[in-house]
Amino acid sequence: MKRNIEDYGLDLHCNMILEEYREQSHVFAKIRDVVLDSLRKAIDERGLFITAVEGRVKAEESLVGKLELKGYKYAALSDITDIVGTRVVTFYTDDVDKVAVIAENLFEIDWQNSVDKRKMHELDSFGYMSLHYICRIPKSLYYDPDNPRINEYRFEVQLRTTLQHMWAVMHHDIGYKSGVEVPKEHLRNLNRLAGVLELADDEFSRLRTSINDYRRRVKELVSNGNFSEVSLNGDTFRSYLNLRPFDNLNRRIAAINQAEIHETTLMPYLAVFKYLHFETLADIDNLIKTESDDAFQLAVYQIGDTDIDIIASNVAVLNLCVVYMLRKGAGIEELTELFESLNGPSDYNRIRASRIIEKSSKLSFSKK
Amino acid sequence: MFVKIDNEGDKYDVAVSGRIDTTNADQFQKDIAPLMECGKCDIVMDCTELEYTSSQGLRMFLMLQKSVNQRGGTLELRNMRPQVKEVFDITGFSSIIRIV
Repeated sequence: MKRNIEDYGLDLHCNMILEEYREQSHVFAKIRDVVLDSLRKAIDERGLFITAVEGRVKAEESLVGKLELKGYKYAALSDITDIVGTRVVTFYTDDVDKVAVIAENLFEIDWQNSVDKRKMHELDSFGYMSLHYICRIPKSLYYDPDNPRINEYRFEVQLRTTLQHMWAVMHHDIGYKSGVEVPKEHLRNLNRLAGVLELADDEFSRLRTSINDYRRRVKELVSNGNFSEVSLNGDTFRSYLNLRPFDNLNRRIAAINQAEIHETTLMPYLAVFKYLHFETLADIDNLIKTESDDAFQLAVYQIGDTDIDIIASNVAVLNLCVVYMLRKGAGIEELTELFESLNGPSDYNRIRASRIIEKSSKLSFSKK
Repeated sequence: MFVKIDNEGDKYDVAVSGRIDTTNADQFQKDIAPLMECGKCDIVMDCTELEYTSSQGLRMFLMLQKSVNQRGGTLELRNMRPQVKEVFDITGFSSIIRIV
């Protein structure tokens, strides 16, 4: 049940503002929805990794509180720019600027009233960090002839990182909400934390940039074939697999029975190569160069007298690993471990290991 | 080749027997069709009586595995005879389909 506007005890001028707020509530709800939808869509298209896109229409009680405090400042409801407030929270500081560009492209920015609070601190002060844009929805983005005020009312977009957001929420909770004046020493501690979080934000961004640089460098080294300079890990192995290094051997094996090759992930073999103490991509490359013929021989021995006409794309790398291990003197235990790491624990693994040992003893490579 | 399916809720117990080869692969596909439409279900396929599977059979298992994965369910093949398991091993399918 809505209260009578007069019951709030505001002056006539503020009552008129509140009345307009009630009349236009559907317009504000629409503004919020259009802004959130547009931001979400654009952020998604840019592929930005963000924490939240959220928004609200100011609650009536909150507006009344604002009017009580400084209603004299507003000539009309349209002077209050945060009736619709939206917020984008990013993980990284650099992404705040990227989302800012998105907002600039989407909305009409009221530059005079927008403020970058990140740049307002003195050299020796820390505190609230956020970018606030005051905007309007341009007709090119959304227009409803029955509700032209959608393009007239301004709204706020706050942009900040997760850590900035955390600080702002805590500051609000500790500093304002309680209604009790907080001793200066506590506020000082809160501001010291803002400095720490600012440092952490910068470090996260620096870390991301360094990791991205590293990945780019690895890709370059891999595509140039400088495998000995690239240590083996998840990123480098994935880049290496993009070169499809096992395709030739797979095609040779498939040709035995004119089989089709079913693509499957080879990432589980990273653990196998680690188990085999391979340190760089060059170790895998050498394995392919030196053991492909014997791995092919093992495959011929296994599928040559069958009518199998489908193989998975892991057959080449599996046979290479088996040949390598056998040549290094592996026995049933080691091969069982290999199969367990690939297929999970099962009694079959030992049976399979014994069978391979038995079969391979007849092949030439095991006699070398 | 014979397929028997028992189910309770989203659990499916399947028993496959005989040989799956080019002559009956289509029938096998029809027999396991309910497993392709069971939503997010957990399928345990007992292969104790499965004597042989050809490449066509492998394709069916693969198709079933893919379909189950897409729906967030699970497929587990159990009690496979050594000669059938060998077919899965030498084709690399043992690492794709869960066999216990």
